[in-house]
Amino acid sequence: MKILLVGLSHRSAPVELRERFAIDAPEPILAKLVAADEIDEAFLLSTCNRTEALVLTRRPEAARHRLRSLFARELAGEDVSPGAVEKALYEYTDSRAMQHVFRVAASLDSMVVGEPQILGQVKDAYRAAAGAGATGVILGRLLNRAFATAKRVRSETRIAERPLSVARVAVDLARQIFESLEGKRALLVGAGDMGEIALEALRAEGLRELCVANRTPERARALAERFGARASGFDALPALLEAADVVLTSVGGGEPVLTPQMVAAAMHGRGHRPMFVIDIGVPRNVDPAVNEIAAVYLYDIDDLDRVASANAEQRRREVERAEAIVQEEQQRFDGWLAALRAVPTIRHLRARGEAVRQGELERFLRRNNLGPEQREALEALTRAIVNKLLHAPVSRLRAEAETEEGLAYLEAARVLFALDDPGAPGAEADARVDDAEDE
Amino acid sequence: MIALLQLAAALYLASGIAGGFAVALGGAGAGRAALALLGVGVAAHTASFVALHAVEPTPQLTQIPLAVSLMAWMVVLAFLAFARRARLGGLVVAVGPVAFLGSFFAALRTPHAPEADLMGAGSWPHAHVLLASSGLALLAVAAIAGSVFLLENRRLKRKSLHPARRGGGLPSLETLDRVNAVALAVGFPLLSLGVLTGALWLHAARGVLWTGAAHEAWNALAWLIYAVLAAARFAGHQGARDAAVSAVAGFAFLLFAVVGVGLLA
Repeated sequence: MKILLVGLSHRSAPVELRERFAIDAPEPILAKLVAADEIDEAFLLSTCNRTEALVLTRRPEAARHRLRSLFARELAGEDVSPGAVEKALYEYTDSRAMQHVFRVAASLDSMVVGEPQILGQVKDAYRAAAGAGATGVILGRLLNRAFATAKRVRSETRIAERPLSVARVAVDLARQIFESLEGKRALLVGAGDMGEIALEALRAEGLRELCVANRTPERARALAERFGARASGFDALPALLEAADVVLTSVGGGEPVLTPQMVAAAMHGRGHRPMFVIDIGVPRNVDPAVNEIAAVYLYDIDDLDRVASANAEQRRREVERAEAIVQEEQQRFDGWLAALRAVPTIRHLRARGEAVRQGELERFLRRNNLGPEQREALEALTRAIVNKLLHAPVSRLRAEAETEEGLAYLEAARVLFALDDPGAPGAEADARVDDAEDE
Repeated sequence: MIALLQLAAALYLASGIAGGFAVALGGAGAGRAALALLGVGVAAHTASFVALHAVEPTPQLTQIPLAVSLMAWMVVLAFLAFARRARLGGLVVAVGPVAFLGSFFAALRTPHAPEADLMGAGSWPHAHVLLASSGLALLAVAAIAGSVFLLENRRLKRKSLHPARRGGGLPSLETLDRVNAVALAVGFPLLSLGVLTGALWLHAARGVLWTGAAHEAWNALAWLIYAVLAAARFAGHQGARDAAVSAVAGFAFLLFAVVGVGLLA
């Protein structure tokens, strides 16, 4: 049994290629995959940054061929060159595939490391696969371990704590100044794109009342309509400033739009309640001396960028700790899989022991006439001997199965007890075990 | 009783250290542990008062060590009451050490002989100590909130925002200012009632409202300063930063007037 993963992501393919592989309804594809002889379990993940297929297979080469064909022919469409798809596809097997799934769920392979959405997307994809009956014991367990790993990474590291975008940094700073952004008033001065983005992030935190002021009121009106805000020209700035808790400036031009005198007057009018001024304009729209006024917190684009960079550096350090957790969880899962591989050998060993015992017992009973009580006693005695003899090797096989030497121990057991020798005494029992396993 | 007080002091100190870790490293687990330690500490502290009451049905609360212990206990209770309503967990970093100092000081200086002044003064001494301690405790909370406000304000103004120094878990400036205002709004009237009952105690014991003793003059001056600060605050003449400076300076003066002058005497 092999675990095989084939896919493409933001690391291997540009967006114009990735978008061709978006899967809205994975169920029919999953059904088709598990209907194939070579695939026992399957799972599909499709997000805006990746499309991946994970399968459990007894025939890795055939499964590999099927998955590559799924990407290159069925998903890509006719106008995408198979060569480009082949180049973008990556492929991982067994431990590497497990590690990749754990890293994806823990957001270590995301475009923005630490972003929280990916875990929900993997969970949704698992629900779809389980609902379609495409996952079984092994992939089910693998994905559940991936969720647990992601949870550990989030709780044991600070990978998701620090915002990385300028807009999110502004929100983070606002939360350090204000108890809540709900009910706070915002003023957008100018109608630049960056201002809009930051405003959008602040609105997502509950900021409701909004006013847009621009040199050209028409542009202000267009923007205000989109945000359900009020619009005005620059002449109303002093009054608007007095009412605003958060001020965003994004104006083109060289002269500062907000001067210390204007802001000081506004602060007096608003009873010195705190004001957060975010200057995203380049050149700057707000005189830096404004930051000297009590209860005014002025941050320009460089300040925000500096925080974002420091946060990114902090995240990079956290990634190392997160990778160690992934490694640990992957090894644990590897151990579980290895233990699973020991099960057939242990079954064979026990069946072989039992067959030898029964064979010898029958032969003895044919030659000796024993009463029922004596037969029962002999039965119990021989069973106890076989069990005691097998106890140590079976326990050792179980324990060693989870270690690196596990396979060597399994191999040694098969050789020492001649489990693969069809002519060995009791070998006919092996066929029954194999049949039972196949069923 | 002393053992329980020492236990409470140790727990308060531990909560302050855990709170420090939570703020410096931003760990939510350390923050929860700090609050839990503070909760257990205040329980041990309460038990120490119960034990004291069992030994001495009318405890000598007018003695400075006990009054300070009572004040530390009330600081923690007031903080926990505030923390239930707002995200103030990060303030454990300051509340824990303050409570530790109060309870440790009380554990070191156990009460001795009863004061003669208590004789024949009825329940005024206890009313005075309970009201004044409650007022002091709340003004201490205001001072703690004010101190943290000043540190956070400075950090945000200077834009020293390296993640390691970001002050994870500390409340926002607006929250700190609100805690300061509420603590002052409740604490100052309690302190005023404490001053009034103190005068009535004197009257009951000695027949005068004012003896002219040094600590009375200092306390009256401290009350007057707080009255001016409260008036400035609630008349809208003070911004949040000035209010924080007032809360810290006012409490430092008050603490000196109430405890420092008594100790020096």
